[in-house]
Amino acid sequence: MAVAKRPAAELEPYEVFQQPKDGDPMRHGGNVMAPDAELAMHYAREMFGRRNESTRLWVVRRADIAVLQDPDLLDPPLDRSFKKPGGYVMRDKLAAARERAGTAKPAARAEGHDRTGGRRAKDQA
Amino acid sequence: MTPATTPARPVGPADALAAPTRAALAELLLTMADDEFVSGFTDSEWTGIAPLLEEDVAISSIAQDELGHARALYQLLVDVVDDGRDEDALAYDREPDDYRHARLLDHARGDWADTIARRFLYELADEARLGSIGPGYRPLAELVEKLRREERYHRMHVLAWIDRLARGGREARTRIEAALVAQEIDAPTVFTPLEDEAALLEAGILTRSMAEAEAAWRADLTSILVPLELSLPPHIPLAPDGRREHSDSFRWLWGEFTSVRRSEGRVTW
Amino acid sequence: MTDPLALDPVLPPRQRSERPWNDDLPHDERYAHFAAHVTAGGKIEPNDWMPDEYRTAVLRFVEMHANSELMGVLPEREWLMRAPTLRRKLALTAKVQDEVGHAQLLYRVAEDLGKPREQMLEDLLAGRTKFHNVFHYPTRSWGDIGIIAWLVDAAAIVAQQALRDSSYGPYARTMQKICWEESVHIMHGRDVVVTLMTGTASQRELVQEALNRWWGPLMQMHGPRGDRAKDRDLHWRIKAKTSEELRQEFLTIYVPRLLELGLTIPDPELRFDDEAKAWQYTEPDWEELRSVVTGHGPKSQDRLEFRRLNREDTRWVREIVFGLRAVAA
Repeated sequence: MAVAKRPAAELEPYEVFQQPKDGDPMRHGGNVMAPDAELAMHYAREMFGRRNESTRLWVVRRADIAVLQDPDLLDPPLDRSFKKPGGYVMRDKLAAARERAGTAKPAARAEGHDRTGGRRAKDQA
Repeated sequence: MTPATTPARPVGPADALAAPTRAALAELLLTMADDEFVSGFTDSEWTGIAPLLEEDVAISSIAQDELGHARALYQLLVDVVDDGRDEDALAYDREPDDYRHARLLDHARGDWADTIARRFLYELADEARLGSIGPGYRPLAELVEKLRREERYHRMHVLAWIDRLARGGREARTRIEAALVAQEIDAPTVFTPLEDEAALLEAGILTRSMAEAEAAWRADLTSILVPLELSLPPHIPLAPDGRREHSDSFRWLWGEFTSVRRSEGRVTW
Repeated sequence: MTDPLALDPVLPPRQRSERPWNDDLPHDERYAHFAAHVTAGGKIEPNDWMPDEYRTAVLRFVEMHANSELMGVLPEREWLMRAPTLRRKLALTAKVQDEVGHAQLLYRVAEDLGKPREQMLEDLLAGRTKFHNVFHYPTRSWGDIGIIAWLVDAAAIVAQQALRDSSYGPYARTMQKICWEESVHIMHGRDVVVTLMTGTASQRELVQEALNRWWGPLMQMHGPRGDRAKDRDLHWRIKAKTSEELRQEFLTIYVPRLLELGLTIPDPELRFDDEAKAWQYTEPDWEELRSVVTGHGPKSQDRLEFRRLNREDTRWVREIVFGLRAVAA
């Protein structure tokens, strides 16, 4: 027989990520058991896409996913507050600067940038 | 004093058709709808008992798609026959011998190889038939565009399985070979000539005859089965009764799917 | 006064790990950290260290749930063939498909806890593990299909909504997906029942007769009242509500909806006690429940046998295409 036999199959888990609608981030939906990537795609579609609930699926063999969970890497102990907005408390320093300059705190809050880099609307008087 | 007249009923899309064309269209729609209906029913028998849970969900979607296609086709037929029956009455309220599905679909569910073989033969035949529908009757042309998009998934799924069985080693291969041989004898019945194909061709509802569609189907089958060294359906002259004289297993199915409906008169379920 | 130009000091020392039971500590310490975390409402993930009793308890709980979804397919499957309209046929096929999907999701959760799926299926079919009582009873008419899809699913969803807070992360997340899908089933079931109740006298009779047979099993479904303090599943927060709480919740929602259709609930003792602020009812037959879930229900053996035969028929597919070898019995 000239037809090549397929390699022996073995069921293994494939993780499925889905995007509910255009613009949404991919999020983990769950996993399916499948003997190969082709059927994994079919089963992923069934389990996470048969109800028109996804615009995109990523189907990945679990064994191919590298997992990082080490607290030494993800949660190291030394101070890193300089990397976050909360690490910049200026109230005392501002008060000292105003005192030295003899100025008062500005009356109304002018338009400025909020922490996320967006513009903050003018406060109503 | 003007005599009372019945209010004019709204003009349906089929009213523009000449009577012979309309009758031919009704036959075409009935064959398509009945094929999907019976195929969907048989496939839905796997719900809950397929070889793997993931595969169970997959075949169930396919069965639902087919039943959905049947429903859409019966809905078109409602306008064409225009005799007061709704799609459920058309689908359910006939005697077994009044069904016009292809004899290929009379085959029982069987085992997994039987189902894959039947699905394979029917799926590719349906594709060839859908590829023969032209723009002559707009509601059908629009529906067919949607059906073809849904059928892509069915084709992918059944080809994945034909490959896995044909190349899965001796036992799998023996089973799929036997299943194909058993059903190939009836496979061409999907292309049973319609009574008035000439009218459909003239109206542009069909772009080619059933015989030409069958040739396209055979070419498609060849491209898949020959590399896998699997047999092709024999060339036999197509008998006109390929959609009549249904099997005992269909009669059993009919008994089941009509049992609740026949328990009461015309009621709402 | 703090030097305004100084940076904030180094953050105070804190626990190196937020999951100390995973650290290399003596068993008792790990157990204590684990128990504190769970009791405080924390979640456990598959790669966490777990005490054996927790792993066993979650596995048994999830396995029974998975088994129930799988066996729950069979009573409705018979009527798939007989659905009297195209829309009902589609809805019922989709519902049964969802149940199979739920079984898949739940067996996956259990598999990731360490038990192979084939072993779980073998144990179920050999009668070594259980499935919920309601799936051991026959379905006799289209009326049953409405009642089951509505009320059995409703009783299940009452339990499942509470499980969305389960301490075991994968199970809790699966419950969220399942609850969302089940809500459609309940609507389908209620639609079938309401349609019958606005139909002919014989259609209404179908529903009443079905309700008469299913009320007993429904009342038993959440299980007997137990001692909260002794309930290990509650202790580990695998589940969050007691059997009685679930039953009361079910009655509060669904008794009025049954009565509004003109149905009679076949329990003359059933009433809401305003003082006790609880439903009073005839004590369910706990002997029946015990007998049924240990495989002596009217359809228990038939359905298990049906599954066994079917598994035999499809064994070759699993072995060849999926590479699954049979587990030694």
